[in-house]
Amino acid sequence: MTLNWSGKRRWIALILVLASLVVMFNWPPVVPVIQLPGEIYPSGEVFGLPITNTFAGSVVVWILILVLIRVVGSRRPRDGGEVPRGGFYNFFEMAFEGLYGFIGGIAPERYLGPIFKMFMTIFVVVLLSNWLELIPGIDSIGFLHPHVHEVDGHTELLEGFDTATLGGVYYVNGQCPWVSPDVAATMSGEALQARADAGCHSGIPAMEEPDDPAEASDDDHADEAADDEHADEIDYHHVEPGDPAVPWVILPYIRVPSTDLNMTLAIALIAVVMIQVMGFRALGIGYLTKFFNFSTLLKSPLGGIDVAVGLLELIGEFAKILSFAFRLLGNIFAGSILLFVMSFLVPVIVPWPFFLLEFFVGIIQAIVFGLLTAIFMSLATVSHHHDEEHHEEAAAGAH
Amino acid sequence: MEEAVVVAGKAIGAGLAMVGALGGGIGIGLAVGGAVQGMARNPDHTGTIQTNMILGVAFAEAVAIYALVVSLIILFVLS
Amino acid sequence: MEALGINLGYLLIQIIAFIVIYVLLTRFVYDPLIAVLRDRRTRIQRGLEDAEKAASARMNAAAEAEKVLQQARVEAQGIVDEARGRGEEVAQQVQQDARSEAETIRNDARMAAQAERDAQLAGLRGQVAAISIAVAQQLIGASLDESRQQALINDFFAKVPDSARALSGDVTVVSAMPLDDAEQQKVQNEIGAESVVFEVDPSILGGLIVRSADQVVDGSVRSGLGEMSQRLG
Repeated sequence: MTLNWSGKRRWIALILVLASLVVMFNWPPVVPVIQLPGEIYPSGEVFGLPITNTFAGSVVVWILILVLIRVVGSRRPRDGGEVPRGGFYNFFEMAFEGLYGFIGGIAPERYLGPIFKMFMTIFVVVLLSNWLELIPGIDSIGFLHPHVHEVDGHTELLEGFDTATLGGVYYVNGQCPWVSPDVAATMSGEALQARADAGCHSGIPAMEEPDDPAEASDDDHADEAADDEHADEIDYHHVEPGDPAVPWVILPYIRVPSTDLNMTLAIALIAVVMIQVMGFRALGIGYLTKFFNFSTLLKSPLGGIDVAVGLLELIGEFAKILSFAFRLLGNIFAGSILLFVMSFLVPVIVPWPFFLLEFFVGIIQAIVFGLLTAIFMSLATVSHHHDEEHHEEAAAGAH
Repeated sequence: MEEAVVVAGKAIGAGLAMVGALGGGIGIGLAVGGAVQGMARNPDHTGTIQTNMILGVAFAEAVAIYALVVSLIILFVLS
Repeated sequence: MEALGINLGYLLIQIIAFIVIYVLLTRFVYDPLIAVLRDRRTRIQRGLEDAEKAASARMNAAAEAEKVLQQARVEAQGIVDEARGRGEEVAQQVQQDARSEAETIRNDARMAAQAERDAQLAGLRGQVAAISIAVAQQLIGASLDESRQQALINDFFAKVPDSARALSGDVTVVSAMPLDDAEQQKVQNEIGAESVVFEVDPSILGGLIVRSADQVVDGSVRSGLGEMSQRLG
């Protein structure tokens, strides 16, 4: 199992660095289109839901969790007498035991089980989702997609790039931003010549089009592209890949699920609901006095303050949902943008520390999400009133 | 031209929204500074202090994250 | 909501998926792992306790061994002492026996010597009496018949002083000549004591000296002569 690479690994690293330098100058990277909702797959819907690439990312995460369950289930010792023999399982058990002790120091002994399980599930799901962004190709391999936007039945062409092929594989050509024929008409001859030299197809004047019909995939489309006045007539959803008449962008197959509000909001909702469930479980119906506290309203002149505080707590519970959801989304979305912007600016060496940073951000956000849930759950088990608290402790001590 | 004005407005708005990150930064700095002082003076309670520090940092960071989300929405969601 | 990408269908799918993951992880990962960890902790705890117990047992065993050794040592010492004591005792016994035997032999010898002397003195007694009577006849000119003469002699030699009749306990009777059995019996009857030891001392000339533990009655001729000489002198 142990590979002793000793001296070889540094040469492999050096070769990879040199190779990425070569790639950087010949095929410059492209900033992907940034949008908050998950990109929709071009190939239809399932059960009325358009498939998004963030959902595909979620599926990947679920498969990874199933693999984790399988590995842990097959490698775990049957009783405490057996000693695990290294490998991934041992690492997992170490982390598990450490986190169990960590939560044990926060949660009350009586509710440690459910609080820890909630924490651990959130931690695992969020951590795997966050770390997806570190995998190369997650944001850069995908469908070629015509970048068009429908507005009031009128199709609007957005920014994009020309495509090229290498060994039968299409890629967007970072050297050729797509230009519409209208813009191309205003460009100078030298600029157009430079574009033609770089192998661009769009924006080349119409007279040159017939010269290279073989390069265009289809004569019809080539004609339509040349026919700049009638661009609106093109069926933009059924263009062949590589058609220079439309701007092309990459639609990644998989995007980090933490950058989709559906995922973060779902976990946030579950977390906040579980906090309330834990409160009711520990304090019964008395948990509601935390929010609707009228007991001191008539007794004391400042009783109104308690009522207001309770209502603020109620609002705070809803704020927790947004806070949870947007904290994770913001961090990972920004991190994801940071990674590919850095890769676009300087593809070699410079992005590496940012990958390390995002690695830790992934862990920290997963821990913070789980830990805040665990802490709020622990707080919910404690009664609001001090006298009741003592009563509760006395009851717990009596058991 | 009109489109350029829209883009400019978006950029300015997003940039202004990120001013909100200032508060988060100051808050996190204060929280971590206080926590480190506490840990240096009282190393026995490092665990408790760390937990509370992470909690406080998360709350302070939330504000900055809100600003970030607002700016991201301005940039990528508003059309 | 649309612009943010929130889609109710996906939201529900994510929630359901999370719940399923929670259940699966709880069933197949958390519960077994927590059980294993708890089991391991109790095992380690028990192992530590066992080790402690074993250590204390070992220390107890050492102490026990020390105690047994000490006891054995004490016992051995006792046996040696006993042997030595018995040896001493035996030696003493032997010595004692030898001494007592020697004593017996010496006593026997002395008794034999005494008997021999007594026999000689008994032989002399008649002659002394006859000589004395002859001397007395010469002096007083009177003659005594044989039986009276004998009584006189007996009186002379075996008269028990009056004050000696109340003596009790062990009594020693000293006479100048050995007394014959009848005389001894008579003397004993007169004194009334249980055990009487008879001794012979010719230097008292005649009469008897009776000695008890705390009293001496001197009925000897020697003392009578002493008194007489004092009175005369």
